[in-house]
Formats: sequence, structure tokens, C-alpha cells
Amino acid sequence: MIIAEQKPLDEILEMISGVERLLVLGCRGCVAVCSAGGDKEVGALASALRLGRKKAGKPIEIDEETYVRQCDPEYLEPLEEDGKRYDAVLSMACGVGVNFIADRCPGINVLPALNTTFYGANLSSGEWAEMCAGCGACVLHLTGGLCPVARCAKSLSNGPCGGSVGGRCEINKDVPCIWHQICEKLTSRKQHQLLREIVPIRDWRPSGHGGPRRRIREDLLP
Amino acid sequence: MISGSNLEQVLISGEFAVTGELGPPQNGNFDVVRDKARILRGHVDAVNITDCQTAIVRMSSLAAGLIVLAEGVEPVMQMTCRDRNRIGIQSDILGASALGIKNLLCLTGDHQKFGNHPQAKGVFDMDSIQLLDMVKAMRDDKKFQCGDEIKSHEPRFFLGAAANPFADPFKYRPIRVAKKVKAGASFIQTQIIYNVEKFARFMEIVRDLGLNEKVYILAGVTPPKSVGMARYMKKFVPGLDVTDEVIERLKGAKDPKEEGISICVDIIKQVREIPGVAGVHIMAIEWEQAVPEIVSLAGLSPRPMPKTFEPRLRSSEAIDLIVSKAMKDAKAEAEKALEQAKAEAQASRDLVLKEKGKISSEVSNLKRRVEEAKAIAVRKESEIGRLTRELAKNRAGQGHVRTVRRSASGDAGKTLSSHDSSALISLRSGLEALRKGLGINEDQLEALKRLFEAESLLSSGADERVTAPFDRSPAPGERLEKPEAESRHREVVSLAAKGNVLLHKNDAAGAIDAFERALAIEPEDKKAREGLKKAKEAFEIAEPSEEAAGPVVPEGIPPCPEGLSPEDWQRKWVIRLVATGNVHLHKGEVDKALNAFKLALELQPDDKRAKTGLLKADSGEAAPVPAPAEPEVPERAEVPSAPGPEIAKVPEGVKTEAKKGPPVTVAPTVTEGISVPELPKETRTLFERADSIQENLFTESCTGAIREVCLGEGEKAVTLGGASTLPFHIFEGDMPRAPQVAFGILDSEPEDWPDVLSRYYSDVFSDPVAWARKCIDHYGAKAICLSLVSTDPNGMNRPSSEAAGKARSVIEGIDVPLILWGCGNAEKDTETLREVTGLVGNRKVCMGPLSDANYRSLGATAMAFHLPVVASSPIDVNLAKQLNILLENLGLSLDQILMDPSIGAIGYGIEYSYSVMERIRLAALTQQDEKLQVPFICNLGREVWKTKECRLPSDAHMGDQERRGVLMEAITASTLLLAGGELMVMTHPKAIALTEALIKGMV
Amino acid sequence: MSRLKNNSCQVGKIVVFCCNYTTSVSTDTLREAGLIPENLDVKKLPCTGRIEVSALLDAFEQGAEAVFVAGCRSDECHNLSGSRRAEKRVGYTKRLLEELDIDPDRVEMFFVHRGETQPIVDAVREMTTRIAKLGQLHSI
Repeated sequence: MIIAEQKPLDEILEMISGVERLLVLGCRGCVAVCSAGGDKEVGALASALRLGRKKAGKPIEIDEETYVRQCDPEYLEPLEEDGKRYDAVLSMACGVGVNFIADRCPGINVLPALNTTFYGANLSSGEWAEMCAGCGACVLHLTGGLCPVARCAKSLSNGPCGGSVGGRCEINKDVPCIWHQICEKLTSRKQHQLLREIVPIRDWRPSGHGGPRRRIREDLLP
Repeated sequence: MISGSNLEQVLISGEFAVTGELGPPQNGNFDVVRDKARILRGHVDAVNITDCQTAIVRMSSLAAGLIVLAEGVEPVMQMTCRDRNRIGIQSDILGASALGIKNLLCLTGDHQKFGNHPQAKGVFDMDSIQLLDMVKAMRDDKKFQCGDEIKSHEPRFFLGAAANPFADPFKYRPIRVAKKVKAGASFIQTQIIYNVEKFARFMEIVRDLGLNEKVYILAGVTPPKSVGMARYMKKFVPGLDVTDEVIERLKGAKDPKEEGISICVDIIKQVREIPGVAGVHIMAIEWEQAVPEIVSLAGLSPRPMPKTFEPRLRSSEAIDLIVSKAMKDAKAEAEKALEQAKAEAQASRDLVLKEKGKISSEVSNLKRRVEEAKAIAVRKESEIGRLTRELAKNRAGQGHVRTVRRSASGDAGKTLSSHDSSALISLRSGLEALRKGLGINEDQLEALKRLFEAESLLSSGADERVTAPFDRSPAPGERLEKPEAESRHREVVSLAAKGNVLLHKNDAAGAIDAFERALAIEPEDKKAREGLKKAKEAFEIAEPSEEAAGPVVPEGIPPCPEGLSPEDWQRKWVIRLVATGNVHLHKGEVDKALNAFKLALELQPDDKRAKTGLLKADSGEAAPVPAPAEPEVPERAEVPSAPGPEIAKVPEGVKTEAKKGPPVTVAPTVTEGISVPELPKETRTLFERADSIQENLFTESCTGAIREVCLGEGEKAVTLGGASTLPFHIFEGDMPRAPQVAFGILDSEPEDWPDVLSRYYSDVFSDPVAWARKCIDHYGAKAICLSLVSTDPNGMNRPSSEAAGKARSVIEGIDVPLILWGCGNAEKDTETLREVTGLVGNRKVCMGPLSDANYRSLGATAMAFHLPVVASSPIDVNLAKQLNILLENLGLSLDQILMDPSIGAIGYGIEYSYSVMERIRLAALTQQDEKLQVPFICNLGREVWKTKECRLPSDAHMGDQERRGVLMEAITASTLLLAGGELMVMTHPKAIALTEALIKGMV
Repeated sequence: MSRLKNNSCQVGKIVVFCCNYTTSVSTDTLREAGLIPENLDVKKLPCTGRIEVSALLDAFEQGAEAVFVAGCRSDECHNLSGSRRAEKRVGYTKRLLEELDIDPDRVEMFFVHRGETQPIVDAVREMTTRIAKLGQLHSI
């Protein structure tokens, strides 16, 4: 899922400084699951913002709402009209939601409440880790299912660098060296031949360096 | 051989290689890199230049590598994937290759997190293995990473990579080395080794994989500086295995630095024993000083000398270094020579003193003997007296007295004659002794002829000796007989002696003279005759060689050097011979002059100048012949005087003159105050002024010569060019023709001339003929340049026919050469100038400017009437040359062309003109670029007088307007003269007077 | 679809969230004991583990000068880790207050032995002292 986290309050307060009527709009998609933009977070953020504005002597009217998803047009439909009652809509969805609102509801001043961080998994309650970089050219079949693009600090293609010590990455002892894990996994699966082959230089176009990406599935087009 | 780098050569040779490491500074300090390179030079085979190691911003490895290369140390450029994508990397690789870097170490690079810009976006477009693969493909397949072909000059690098035997997973490490080798690595440098045992295990696997056969492995070592450093490395540097033993050794050491070096040396010795290790990589970053010691202690010095080593770029300091070294060497050599000469001089001085002593003792001995002879003579006289008296007594006495008298007179006669002859013998032997003395001294002269001091001592000594015996010991008999003959003889001997001395001074001519004078007094004097014979022989030997060294060649000319056509060579020699003849004529050496002119005419029978010279020489137009024995006093400065003070003085005159000038409102003819005092000439030769620095150190002879172009016709014709040396370098070549100044006039009233200029001509503005005449009659113009500005289509746009008419009247109204200068519009100029030639036929007027736009039409006209032309090109050597070539192709002779390189006034781009002119002249003279061996014409007056500085009125800040303008024009002219300009077209009479005075003072 | 919340508040100077199990004392009991100040609002929860950050912020929004949670001692929680969760939420709220430039001491977590009143009284005193020290949060 997409992992996000709330921006610092002062940054949000700064961006709504001229706003008197605000809608804090949550999303029950990824951000709700990673506890960044679901109903609970909407309530807490709205409260905090009211408190902050009150303390600053500039009370604000805030409504709270959470949509099923902000990245599908049908869920955004009501916002086109309802949103007009507010000076701004503070979206607690990932960046996709904010963009989609901006695209779909041109009359609405949409603001981001979250920093969208990565594609990750929930390691345990309250802990998420990056697992994929969305590079558009998956090599996981060659690396024992472990992604060197997302999980190696240098996105290396050809094995661990000289900084790999005791299975940890050179940049931080808390970061596992994914190439160490790939080596062990491929060796245990008797796939170590894969380690001897030179993986050619990557084409980074599918990862976004070729411009914004778009996917089309013909059979589903209206 | 892949790249031919020194490192590659050493490794291939099987020598145990040593590489070092150099961390560029975190600033732009050139010296830091250079100094580090100098520390490492000679102690390592190559030096790694790190690429922002530990992700800290530093001077780029490429730039630092070039500095190192310029210092004579071979760099191994490191290249990481952290900071550049494939576009940047390939671009840098091409640059590095172009600049002579031959080794490349391909690394992934430390993560930016470690550095001082952790916020940076790490590029990591590829990893080190892919980098190797890419650079190898660039080299071997001549392909960029994208597959495009590298059409030529593909980068050829000796490729290396890093390996860390201490990183995990351990078993994977040799596999990674194999991958790097497969990708293109020819050598591997390892991480710092402290755990030799682990490294040995690593090498074992490497050998098992057969990698030691495919790649040179250089073991990385670092001398630990302190326990702290060792602990830090152990704890914080990922993948660095510092053993406890190392830490213990450092802990126990008195001098941790020394112990660090010792640890490092021990490790080198240990790893050297491991099979497959081809060298060491000593990383002593910020402790480069330790490297020489480590290399030496490890028994790895001296390093093999790099075979081929030529950095593409040299630092200016490196050049300075070479130059200063060469200068030092030259100086030392010169000093050595000087010392030797001094010693020789001292020795000869001693010898001379010794000889002098010897001679003086001989002289005194002789004196004594002469005294004895005198005493004998006196006694004899008294005896004669006594005998005479006795005889008289006897005559007066008896008859037997007759016999007595007879016998007595017989006795007396005998005695007298014996006494006389003994006196003469003594005298002769005295002379003999003197001659011997002289002989000895002549030998010395022979040996010391080049030493001036010794020479002068000797000549004075010789004179003394020649005259001394006659003054001090007159032969009594002679004195009684003929005092006149005595003085004559004295004169003869003296002259003969002088002749001998001169002969030994190699002055054969002087010697001949002396001997001849001696013979004139005493035709039978043997010594003088012998001397004369010898002197003549010597003269015959000496003269030809002297002539060959000098400019005149009596028999033919030297063989034509390569690169010159025989015609040119001959032409050049004619110019030279004529010049030489003129010089001789000037000096009064009529014969030599005649000789030179005759030779010139032999080579070129219709050379006018040679003919004129011959006529002059024949008619005896020469200075009185100086006495041959006298040293030649140079009659003209060989080098222009330093113009500083003189120039500075002249404007003072101008200033006062300007003050005296007429009020602004009136415009009378201004003729007074124009003349400029003559510049003092430097009479000493450059050699003298150069403080006896050898001449070949400051002279540089040219192989080319500038063609001569003749303007005008008849008596007043002006010939330009002919120089075979750089402008005014008359100490090293000929500059037979002084540059000339032409007065620039217009065919209509100037619209924008400032009053300070126009006041001189305002009375004649309306009539170009009168204007030209005024220039000639009042200001002494030797040439006129008439600008047909009125025809300018962007200006007055007068019809060509009108301008042509005016031009014609000017042509007909003056006798000095005329240059017709069009308005600069190619089309209109063609029309106008053609019209002029139609009117005046083949009067030798010079036409210009011919540009690439109208050279065809005007060139054809010039060719038809054989007129000289001005070829104008826009401040560019190649364009100037091209235009000359085009004109020549058209059929014009280069003898008809004056080049106008396009000039600017001082402050208005003159430096460009200067530079281009200088380059043209150098090409013409030193590279024999025939197409550029043409005189320059510089139309500068119009440029100067349109500048702002010449138009601003007089004020306290800018000073007097006229003086300002005059100096602007004169200084512009002097600059262009120094650049090689032969003909200056100028406007202000004062500026022209100044310029002419300068020219006169310089040639 | 939405309701605009009323910003005007009925002032309760200190808001206490306490576990239903922890204490059975009511506000009145405490007030009678003369130990508790006038403006005390005691809110009972089935378990402090249920407390949400938004509720704590809401209390401030409603005019509280200080807010605290009185939960069971960690080894006594009926729901095992309820009071520890509450402690983390209080911690998070402290962080938010800090971001809003409000002293985090205005919110606190207290662990109270079941059935005891005194620790709650002590907590109220503590928070009262803090308020006195920190001054008025709400100018109204």
C-alpha cells in the first residue's frame, strides 16, 4: 500500500493561515490503513487545527469528512458541489487524492495534509517499510523476490557493495543489506549462478525518468 | 597494451607495482594538489585521484588528475556512479581521454549519506560493474552506452575496480571480483588490509577462480597514524577489519606515526608473499609524506622510470619551472665560461708581467752593455786623441816619425775598428734580445688575442720595446754620421713593429697599411717587406671568411635554403646586397659599396636601387675614408632607443604649441609649431647595452622578407617594405625602408572633424587639390591618401563621375604618390575607382579598399593598369591571406598589394589589430608564408578622429583637446608601426610630425 | 453531510479521563471532600485504552486548561494493555500540543491503583499547580 504520514502541524497551519472555513477530508484507502488519513486522524487533525487557531486568536470553522477513496472519480463527485462552501479542502489522502481533487474539482482549493512516502508493508502495528520503488521494470525473479532497487541504498544491480558488513547496510546498522539477503537466498536456492551474471545497465524510463507514466487496459476502456 | 599507461607497463613488466592515493582539496587550491603530487612523484607508478571520497565535495578528480599529470605523475582517475548519470560519466570520460588520462578506476561510490551533502539526490544510474562494462564497450566496441558508434578517438583507458575482501558475504567477494574482471577491469585495488590472514584466504579463492591470471591485484594498505585513527577505522568505517594486533602495536609505540609506517611496511612485505598480488596501493590520504618512506622501507624503490610521459596540458607553473631551470642552466654555464675566461686572463696577465720583468732585465742588461760600449768608445776617443796628438808631434818632429806615425796610425786604426765593431755587435745583440722578447710576446698575443686586457697590455708593451733602445742607446757611430737617417729608421722599425702587432691582432688590413707606410719611408726594409707579405697572406685568408659571415657575399650567394624558391632567395639577396651597399656607402667604404651593388646587379640587372647605389658610389658620394687601423665607430644606432623619455618630452612641445595656437573662431593656415625636435638616437649597439650578453641569446634571424611595393612614379615615388626582420629589429636584420606617413584628405568638406583638427585645413576644405598641395607644400607630405567619402550611398551619395573628376584633378595636381580610398561600399567603390582609372589611364595611383566583395572587378582594373591596390580584410589572419591569394589567382602580383588588416584607434580595439598584424608579420618572416609577405597600410587618422576622446572639448579633467587628439593619433600610429605597419594614413599635421620624428629616431 | 462544531465552550478547567474500573468516586464526592477545585470534569471510560487523541484535543478545544488520563497500573489493566495504549496516545497528544506551541505538561497520564481516590486527588493537585505555573491557555 501507499504509505504516508501527516505533515507537521505548523506547516499545515501555515498553509491554511488565510482560511476561515475548512474541510478536513480523509480517505479510507491506504492512508486509513496506515493510520495517516482515516476517520480518526481526520478528527485529531481537525481538533488540533481548531485548537491551534483558537490559541492564535483566529478561530476557524472546520468540518470533517472521510471518503471511501479519493482516487476514484465516483467518490469525488459530491465534493464538486459541497467543496464550494469552504475556503479550502485539506485532503488527508495520499498525493494521488490531492492531485485527483485538483484535476476533477478545479474550483476547489485543495491542500495536502500528508507527505506521501513510499510503497510499503506494515511490519507491525505502527511500523511500515518500503518494499517497492515502482520502477516499472521488475527484476524480483532474479533476486529471490527481494527488491534491490527499492531496498538497496544505492539501487545496485550486481551484488552488495563493499560497505556490506554483517548483513547490514553501510548507511545505517538498522538497515539490512538487501543484497546480503539476496545472496543468501539465491545460494540457499542453488540459484547462485544468478550472482555471477552481469546484470546490464537499467533502462530507467519505466521508473518515471521517461516522463509521467500511464497505464491503459484496452478491454476495460469505456 | 591497452592504454599504454605507465601503470599498465609496470604491471605487464612483472614489476611489483606501487600506486598511491591523492585526495583533492575541498577548495580550488591548485597548489595543494601540485604539492601532494610532488611528494609522490618518483615513489609511485600512478596515483589514484579520488572522486569526492566519502561524498564530501572536493575538487573534481578530472581536474586534479590533470594537475597531477602536469607535474609528471600519472593519475588513476576515480569515477563514481553517485554523482553523474551515464551522460555525465561518458562525457567526463571523453574529456579525460582527450586530456591524456589513461587509467580509470570505476567505483559505485560512497553513499551521499556519509558526506557533507546528505540531502543530495544520489544518482546511481548504474553500479560499478555496469560502469566498467560501459567504459569497456566505449573502448573496445567504440560504442556509447546507447549503442551509437564513437566514430573516432574512442577513449582508451586501463580500467580498474575496487574490491573489499573484508566485506560480507565473504564468499561472494571473489565472485564480485570475477564479475568486475568480466566487465572489463584489468586491475583491482583492494580495501585497506590489516587482517592479512583473511586477505590471504580471499586470495586463495581468487586464485581458485583463476582470477590472478586475468587481473592484476594491488593490495590496499594504509599507515595508521594513531591508535585513535585505528580505533575509528575499526568502529566506523564499514568493511574495514582493523586487527587488535595493530591496535596493540600502536598502543605500545613510543612514536605512533613511526610505528604506523612500520605496520604498513610489514603488511606490504606480507602481502607481497601472497601469490597473485601484483602490487600495493598505498592510501595515505593527508599523510602523503609517509609514502616515500614506506616505499623505500618496503624495498620497493626506486620505481621504474616512466617511459613515455607527456601531459597534454601543462600548468603554467610547470612551464615556468622548465624555463627557469633552463635559464639557470644557461646562467651557470655562462658563469662557468666567465670564470674560465677570467682565470685565463689572470694567467696571461701574470705571464705578461713575468715576460715584462724578463724583458726589462734584458733591457737593463743591454743598457749596461751599451754603457760599456760607450765607455770603450770614450776610451777609444781619448786614445785616438792621444795618438793624433802624438802623430802631430811626430809630424812636427824627425823623419823617422813617418814610420812611427804610419805604424801608430795603423795600430790606432785597428784598435778603433775592433772597438767599433764590438760596440756594434753589442748593439745588434741587444736588438736581437729585443726581437726575441718581441717574439715571445707575439706568441702570447697569438694565444691571448681574444682577451682585451692582455691585448692592450701587450700592445703598449710592444711600443715601448720598439722605441726604447733607440731613445736610450743611440749607436755612437750612427749618431755621429746621420741623425736624419736615424729618425727615419726609427720610424720604419716602429711601423714594422706596429704592423706585426696588428697582424697578430688579426687586423690584416691595418698591418698592411703599417708595413706599406714603413716601406714608403724605407723601401728596402726587409722586416717591413716580410711583414707586408705575411699581412697580405693573412688578409687573403681572413677577408673571405669575414665576408661570408657578414652580409656581403663576393662570390655568388649561399645556397637557397629549403622552403624558399630560388627566385625569392635571389630577390632577398638583392635587397640585402643593396642594403649592405648603402650601408658601406654611408660609411664611406666606396669599394665595398661598389662591390655590393655590382653583385646585386649581377643577380638582378635591372634593380633600380642597385643602379642608383652604383652611380652614387662611382661618383664618390661617400664620407672620407677613415684610417683603416682605426676601430669602426658605429655611425647609427643599431637598435632604436628606448622611446620612453623622448616621447615624453615631445608632447611638452606640443602642449606649448597648442597653447600658442590661434583662437578657435579663426581658421587661418596653421603652419607654425608643427615641427618636432629630432629624437636623440641611441648610438650604442644593443650588444653593448645588453651588458655583453651573447648576441645569439637575443637575436633571432628571420628567413622571410617583406615584398617591396612601389607607390607613385618618378622622383617622388615611395617604396614600402623590404624588411627581412621584425619592425625596427635592426639589430638582427635589415629594414631598408623606413615606414612612411601619408596625409589623409577628403574629397569633400569633413562633416564631423573637431575644430582642433579642421583648423589646419579649413581653408582648403572646398578644394581637394589645394588641400593636397597644402599638405605637400606646408607640411612636407610625402604621400596623400584621398578618401572619396562623398560617394558613400549612406552619406552624401555623390555620383561616381563627380568624385572621379575630383580625384583626377588631384592626381594631376600633385607629384607625390596618391592613394585613392573609396567610401567602403564595395559596389560604389568599384564604380568610382573604375571611372578614375578611365580618366587618368595608367597614372600609378593606388586604389583601395579591395574587399572580398569587389576584389574581382577592381582587381582586374588594377591588373590592367598595373596599379598597386589596398586589400582590406576584417582583422583576421586567414581572411587577409585568403584575399591576397584571391588577388594573386586573379593575376595580380603580390608586389602590387598593400594589406589593410582593418585597424582601430587606441582604446578602440587596437589590440586586435596589433595581434593580427603581429601574427601576419611573424608568419611572413619566420614561417615564410609568402602570401603574407606584403606591406601593411594603416588608415588610422579617420579612426582616431572619430573617437569620443578626440571630440570632447578641453577641460580640466581631460586636458587640452588638441594635444589629446594629437597624442591619440601619434600613439595609435606608433603602436601600428611596432606591429609592422609600413604606411600610416594620418590626418593631424602635428601627429604626423611626431610620428615621423619617431620613425626617424628608430631606424 | 457535515456539521459545523460549535466553538463556544462550557468551561471545565480540568478534564479527567478515567477508567471505569479504576475509581468509582464521582465529582461530587471529591468536591465534598473539599479537595477538588470547582471546574473539574470527570469523564469515565470503560477502559482508558479506548481514549483517542482527538478526544484529548477536543477537551482542550472545549476549554480545558489541563487534561489528564487516570488509568490502571500497567499490571492491573482489565484489558491487559489498555492503560499502556492510553499512555502512548497521551504521548502523541503531547507531541501535537508541542507542535501547536502549547506546553505538553498540560496533558498527562497517571497510573492509579484500583479503588484508590487519593492518587486522583494528587493528580488533580498536580495539574492545578501546573496550570497555575503555566498560566491561562484560554483567554476567554
